Amino acid sequence: MSDATAGADGSTEDKYADLLSDEEGVPAFESVMETRETRRERYSRKFDTYVRTPLAIMFEDWRAVVGLLIISTYVVVGAFGPMVMDPVLMGEGEPLISPFQNWQFPLGTDRTGQDLLTMTVYSTRPVLLMMGSGAFFTVTVGTIVGTLAGYKGGALDTVLSTVTDTFINIPGLPLVIVLSVIIEPTNPIIVGIFLSIALWAGLARSIRSQLLTLRRESFVESSQALGVPTGRLIRKELLPHLLPYVVINFVNAARIVIFSAVALYFLGVLPFEDSNWGIVMNLAYENGAHYRPDALHWLLVPVFAIVFLSVGLVLLAQSLDRVFNPRVRARSSEGGDEDESTTATTAMTGGR
Amino acid sequence: MSKTDSLQESRQDESTIMRVRDLEVYFDMSRGQSRVVDGIDLDLKRNEILGVVGESGSGKSMLAASLLDAVVDPGVTNGEVTYVEEDGTETDVLGLSKKELKRFRWETVSMVFQGAMSSFNPVTDIRTHFEETLIAHEEDLDEGMERAKEIITDLHLDPERVLDAYPHELSGGMKQRALIALSLVLEPEVLVMDEPTAALDLLMQRSIITLINEIKEKYDLTIVFITHDLPLITGLADRLAVMYAFQLVERGPATEVVRNSAHPYTRALLKSTPNLQTPLEEMRPVEGSAPDPINVPPGCSYHERCPLATSICETEDPDPYDVTDDHEANCHHWEETLEME
Amino acid sequence: MSPTTTKPTATTGKRPWRWSETDMSQQQTGTSQQDGPSANEQEPLLSVNDLKVHFEKESQSIFGETETIKAVDGISFDLTERDVLVLVGESGCGKTTLGKTAVGLQRPTEGTVTYRGQDVWTAKDRLGDIDIPFREIRQSLQIIHQDPGSSLNSHKRVRSILEEPLIQGSEDLDWNQRRARILGMLEHVGMAPAEDYIDRYPHQLSGGEQQRIALVRAFLMNPDVILGDEAISALDVSLRIEMMDLMMDLQEMFDTAFLFISHNLSNARYIAGKTGGRIGVMYLGELVEIGTVDKIINDPEHPYTRALKWATPELDPEDAEEKDEMPIRSIDIPDPEDPPSGCPYHTRCPEAKEVCATEEPSLLETDVDEHRHQVACFRSQDDHAYWDSDPIE
Repeated sequence: MSDATAGADGSTEDKYADLLSDEEGVPAFESVMETRETRRERYSRKFDTYVRTPLAIMFEDWRAVVGLLIISTYVVVGAFGPMVMDPVLMGEGEPLISPFQNWQFPLGTDRTGQDLLTMTVYSTRPVLLMMGSGAFFTVTVGTIVGTLAGYKGGALDTVLSTVTDTFINIPGLPLVIVLSVIIEPTNPIIVGIFLSIALWAGLARSIRSQLLTLRRESFVESSQALGVPTGRLIRKELLPHLLPYVVINFVNAARIVIFSAVALYFLGVLPFEDSNWGIVMNLAYENGAHYRPDALHWLLVPVFAIVFLSVGLVLLAQSLDRVFNPRVRARSSEGGDEDESTTATTAMTGGR
Repeated sequence: MSKTDSLQESRQDESTIMRVRDLEVYFDMSRGQSRVVDGIDLDLKRNEILGVVGESGSGKSMLAASLLDAVVDPGVTNGEVTYVEEDGTETDVLGLSKKELKRFRWETVSMVFQGAMSSFNPVTDIRTHFEETLIAHEEDLDEGMERAKEIITDLHLDPERVLDAYPHELSGGMKQRALIALSLVLEPEVLVMDEPTAALDLLMQRSIITLINEIKEKYDLTIVFITHDLPLITGLADRLAVMYAFQLVERGPATEVVRNSAHPYTRALLKSTPNLQTPLEEMRPVEGSAPDPINVPPGCSYHERCPLATSICETEDPDPYDVTDDHEANCHHWEETLEME
Repeated sequence: MSPTTTKPTATTGKRPWRWSETDMSQQQTGTSQQDGPSANEQEPLLSVNDLKVHFEKESQSIFGETETIKAVDGISFDLTERDVLVLVGESGCGKTTLGKTAVGLQRPTEGTVTYRGQDVWTAKDRLGDIDIPFREIRQSLQIIHQDPGSSLNSHKRVRSILEEPLIQGSEDLDWNQRRARILGMLEHVGMAPAEDYIDRYPHQLSGGEQQRIALVRAFLMNPDVILGDEAISALDVSLRIEMMDLMMDLQEMFDTAFLFISHNLSNARYIAGKTGGRIGVMYLGELVEIGTVDKIINDPEHPYTRALKWATPELDPEDAEEKDEMPIRSIDIPDPEDPPSGCPYHTRCPEAKEVCATEEPSLLETDVDEHRHQVACFRSQDDHAYWDSDPIE
């Protein structure tokens, strides 16, 4: 790659002679007026960085598109579904109608004649809330603990790591089961937080290791030399490096939360007020749906609902990594082949 | 003497061990074709040390790799690279089959890569590295290890200590020497070294240069030494070849090229290299910057930065001009260059 | 073309910095004194006194003892305004540790680092009366690392990287003013058109360009001292003079002192020679010789300096061939955990005598060069017992 130098306009010394003013003997730089950036340009640039580029990168990847579609569908259904559909009533239909038979009960009914589609739709919101809160809690606590432990080191690290290790070693599901039985949470958000108690520690551990490496990088020392306060340093310098990892963990945590939730409802550990997929599965199973061909759909409908959501999350997670990669960002925002040329050049010159 | 005549001569010249003609290496990229080696002719004489000097990105590493037909995909290597044995038998290196190439590499022409200190496997000890190499080339293990120990001793290392060590237990200088030993264990004829002393301290660097000379004598080697640090090899090399913008711009005996440079780039390079003798006022950086491999200027690739450039330089790519019998420069104004201060 | 500096203020010690822009006139911050001596003029800018930096290395086994590595073992020197000092030595000699300690990035085990009379670590720990707050000291001492690739955050664009020093600095600038300065600086260091460069990520720049960004970042802080930790070693040999020239140019403009670290004597010669600075030779955590280019390069006294000079490659091949005898008894450096007794160099010194193994020479001024030359070797003392001692086997 070539170095741009100032040789074009003649000797370097002459070019900058007039940049040095003699006013009070202090050097002065002249700026060129045309380079002033308007407020509008600035916001446009920020929009580009935070919205347009990430979206552009994501839409290049089919996985992101599909993943986003699936998740958006669930979100829309969860948000607006209950407004559009009436809640289930027992006996509104014949018991155990098979799916795809008629428009009134597209997915069939359960043993008590309740429409499975409506039940699925109504379950979506609490499930999403559970997932969201669980993932958010996991990621937030995990990142904060891991970052503090990794960056600060010393006594704080020892304390936080001990706590982290304790939580890692406590078996997750049994812990949650015990807690749920004692406390009997019903609010989906609380349930989500409960379920993530077992998850945050793993993330904290990984983030801590990443930080142990990162903090030795020269750019961190440079920032320290500039006097950047610790909070800002972590936020602006280190977090971008962690974000891909954090985001992917968010999505994975969401998946684990929902699976755990379903499992616990299925086991009957978590109390239920309204119906949700896990509960439906529980009931279906208790009624032997898994070996009754005419009732099989009762079990499978919630299962598919969960699986699809999970697939959507996985696809999204896989594609999100690219959004944070500066090489991909550079290529996307400029539309040039920067990425290709850099890697090819590295191959060509053997590194240097 | 015309170019064809001199070509004929070198074809018959018994002391040539490798011959390169019209070598080109290019990469096809979406924004164009990147030619990192752009038509190089070179004769490597038996038992000489040839120094190839050029900036980073001038193509010298690719040149080295092509001597072993080791240019990474998707690079394409064209031209002629011929290995000549003492009895005259010629081998077309670029045409070798995969199996033949495997024998050729390391047994005939061996290479010490740039940044090679990290090319040791950190989880195996040095002995295993040697053994694996010997086994891969189906050599007798005992004989090979004896040879290895001897080479290691010649490099002023303690074989027992080194062989039993893991790479991280050795210092930079020791690793580099171990690597050189590894490249010699199959008794190659030619050794290509790409920046072998890059990360080393002054004293260690100096001692390795001396060692290279010693082993060259003892093992009857021909060495190609690639570097961007000109003073490093002026004492070591018999001949120098200067690379600029993916071509050779000057070739000749080391003393000649340094004292009577006939190419403006060589002169500029000499002036821009920090050393202990040149008066400080005479040192100056090279103007401008090296061209992009996709966008090399027409005519002489150096003309945009050259103080002597005239109109002919912009249109005609200079062929090598003979300055003396064995000193060539690719410059239309080579005579003027000799007069430069 | 060196602009005269305005004298630093007595209280803050910070020189006012002035940017004039065609449509924005930026007034001076703080007071400025044109004439008249300031109390700080007599004082060295940065002073390092009997500095020791020791690292504990944990032993591998449970029962082993912790080893102490004395990276820096009793070093003192002063830097005045716009001074240039190049520390030269092999790896493991402690020069990087010394450099980082001098600019306040590493806490010393013993000894002091003083900035304009204020002890740096006392200021940081907020003990007692502090004349200069730590934040000000912190920002006056900057660093440029060896590897430009890792000294720039790969996730940040050039604009963002270069805004940070301006945001942290004492002046209150709006984003357009910052942008103007960044563009101005980029053009000055030869990266034009600057608007192209500010949106780039580090991986889209060449090594030389990256290093220039690191340079600009340090200078935008308007520091008093910059530590260049092998700042040009990662560049091609043919690009080094250009970079050193640029550093010297910026040094003049910003009135900064330079503390350079290099393992290469040729580079040290160039930059010390061109600025009239000094070269300090380090060995195993100690300064063995310090002086101007005239002394260190042309007439070195310490045997180690001579060895380094011998090891530096020559440009002319015939000169190169004349060197044969290796003026050093062993190529390998002693283990830093177990340094030699007496003079640390005696194990490799060709002139070593028995007294060298028992007594340690101190760094003493010689009469040369208006006392700017110091050397730690008995051979420079005419009346030392060295001359009567027997050579070591």
